[in-house]
Amino acid sequence: MMRPLLPIAFRNLLRAKRRNALSGGTMVLGTGALILGSGLSDGIARQLTASLVAVQTGHLQVVVRADDWEPQNSPFDAYGQDELPQAVALARRLELEGAALGVERAVPYLHARGTAIAGNRTSLAVIVGIDPEREPELQAALPPAAGGFLPPGDALAVYIATPMARKLRLGVGDIVSFVIQTPQGAINSHDAIVCGVFTKSAPWYDNTFYVPLTAAQALLDWPGGATNVKITLRDGSLAAARSATPALAALVAGMDLGAPEGTRVRVEPRDKAGRFSYSIIEANQTALAILSGFLFAAAAVGIVNAMLMSVHERTREIGTLRALGLRRAGVVQLFLLEGFALGSVAASLGILVGGALVLYLGARGIVMDTMTLAWMAGGDRLVPVLEPASVARAGLAIVLLSTLAAVYPARVASRLAPREALQHV
Amino acid sequence: MSSLLLVLLLAAPAAAEIVRRADRAVLGESATYALKMTVVRPGKSERVVEMKGWKKGDEHGLVRYTSPPKERGTAYLRNGDSTWLFLPSAEKVVRVGPKQNFGGGDFSNGDIFRLSLTADYDPVLVGEEEMLGEGCYKLELRAKDRSVAYDKVVYWVRRDGTFYPVRADYHTLSGKRLKWLEASKVAKLGSRERPTELVMESALETGARTRLQFLSIQDDAQIDDRVFAPSSLERGE
Repeated sequence: MMRPLLPIAFRNLLRAKRRNALSGGTMVLGTGALILGSGLSDGIARQLTASLVAVQTGHLQVVVRADDWEPQNSPFDAYGQDELPQAVALARRLELEGAALGVERAVPYLHARGTAIAGNRTSLAVIVGIDPEREPELQAALPPAAGGFLPPGDALAVYIATPMARKLRLGVGDIVSFVIQTPQGAINSHDAIVCGVFTKSAPWYDNTFYVPLTAAQALLDWPGGATNVKITLRDGSLAAARSATPALAALVAGMDLGAPEGTRVRVEPRDKAGRFSYSIIEANQTALAILSGFLFAAAAVGIVNAMLMSVHERTREIGTLRALGLRRAGVVQLFLLEGFALGSVAASLGILVGGALVLYLGARGIVMDTMTLAWMAGGDRLVPVLEPASVARAGLAIVLLSTLAAVYPARVASRLAPREALQHV
Repeated sequence: MSSLLLVLLLAAPAAAEIVRRADRAVLGESATYALKMTVVRPGKSERVVEMKGWKKGDEHGLVRYTSPPKERGTAYLRNGDSTWLFLPSAEKVVRVGPKQNFGGGDFSNGDIFRLSLTADYDPVLVGEEEMLGEGCYKLELRAKDRSVAYDKVVYWVRRDGTFYPVRADYHTLSGKRLKWLEASKVAKLGSRERPTELVMESALETGARTRLQFLSIQDDAQIDDRVFAPSSLERGE
């Protein structure tokens, strides 16, 4: 019975063109809006995750946390505050002994806070000491707008953000001084020459100054030390990072690093280390889910209304079909298939509209020109992405909704008695 | 020449004694005083704050702002190893670090409240030379450990028997000169003569400096220990 009813269902869409066009149009817009929303949400998720992985945590990280440490849900939570003892040696061992657990690279870095001074201008400074030769992802995430990335072997180089260069009026070749209080209490300083200015990225990196790891170690009076070890896995998925965490934690625990009293060396997957970024992603997904709920409700009311009208208009036809031997279940199937057909056509058109919009915006990027938007998107520019899974999810949801919305009208139609239906004017 | 220097150095008091006497040259063991602080920042108008201070040994100190009116009541308290700041507008007492700047100027809280260098440094007399027109002992002070703010201080102290400090250059762990202090305008204030103006200048921030002018000093003041209790900050005693 299904096979002959499906073409009839599609053909019936043409019988009430205006009504079906209106209900279908609602669903086209709904599908398009869902795909656009997903594109924005996926774009934010991709930007935040890529930035987090490249700049702060890798796929997972080793860090020292105080026993009573509580994340502040700030973008700086991932950075360690205490010295990770023997961090350079630890990274080397993790690469060797963690290879079987999927470790591709382990790179130490040192994070500290101090003051940057240039001429008569000063600024709070987040000073990050890195090994420039082993940070290709960071270099790609923060490409130079002027000059170049930290050159290997140049202990005096510093790589700064565009907003900071503007604030301190610094250009390539200029000198900036850093003053810091070491964890032990002494005041220390370091003079550096700007080798490059990186393109504006997430707002929380505006105050960041990248210096060679050795320079940062000397500045903090921590020879050989660091605050974090960033681990890159061969499989970069979050699931792989989560599943590798216990084994790597056991490996690190076995190394007996001797963390300071009241602290513990921890291995954190990126979603735990970068809780701030993931909370933005979750918030966006929640907002999208709520928006979808309203869109679905509005579309469902339209579909039910259109179908009930159809049942009313086609009462005599239903009576004829029933008199010719179509069973009640057949009537239900016919209306469900009409809902399915309407949903399929609307979803297809919606995917085309929404997909084209996302691709257009993805090619141009959306300027996030207020501080709030820049914090939400993790940058001054949001590039929406068309994820096949999100497109499929939106399309299937609309088809399912349309089919389910036809259940009630279908049941109303199936309850019509053939004799009364045939007498209907 | 080198033998003459050797003779001079042998005749000079021990380095520790010079530093100890210089420590007490401006403010004695206990004192009350009135102070005017002027913070100079290039391109900005000068910020002037007047304050009243109490000092008892190296461990206890209290400074309260008396003007401008909008900042009156702001107070810094040093008690042992702790320093507190009271902000009347917020009605809050917060603990601050000794290395944080004092009142937005170039002095740190430690510079203000722990004027004694004897406790934190091992001094070495390295010579005698003219500094700011005065014949001075030149001393090199090395921090006793890595927790002391300035790893090295080069210190010039008058060698005319007054032991007035003339200048101090403060260096960071990396050896860079961070800032310098000049003590000048010797005048009778209170019961004796002493330098009455201290200027701290930043070596890193071009043109940034802070001037402290003593307006009055009462030496050997009897000060109740309760003045230095953190609870007294909010009471405005």
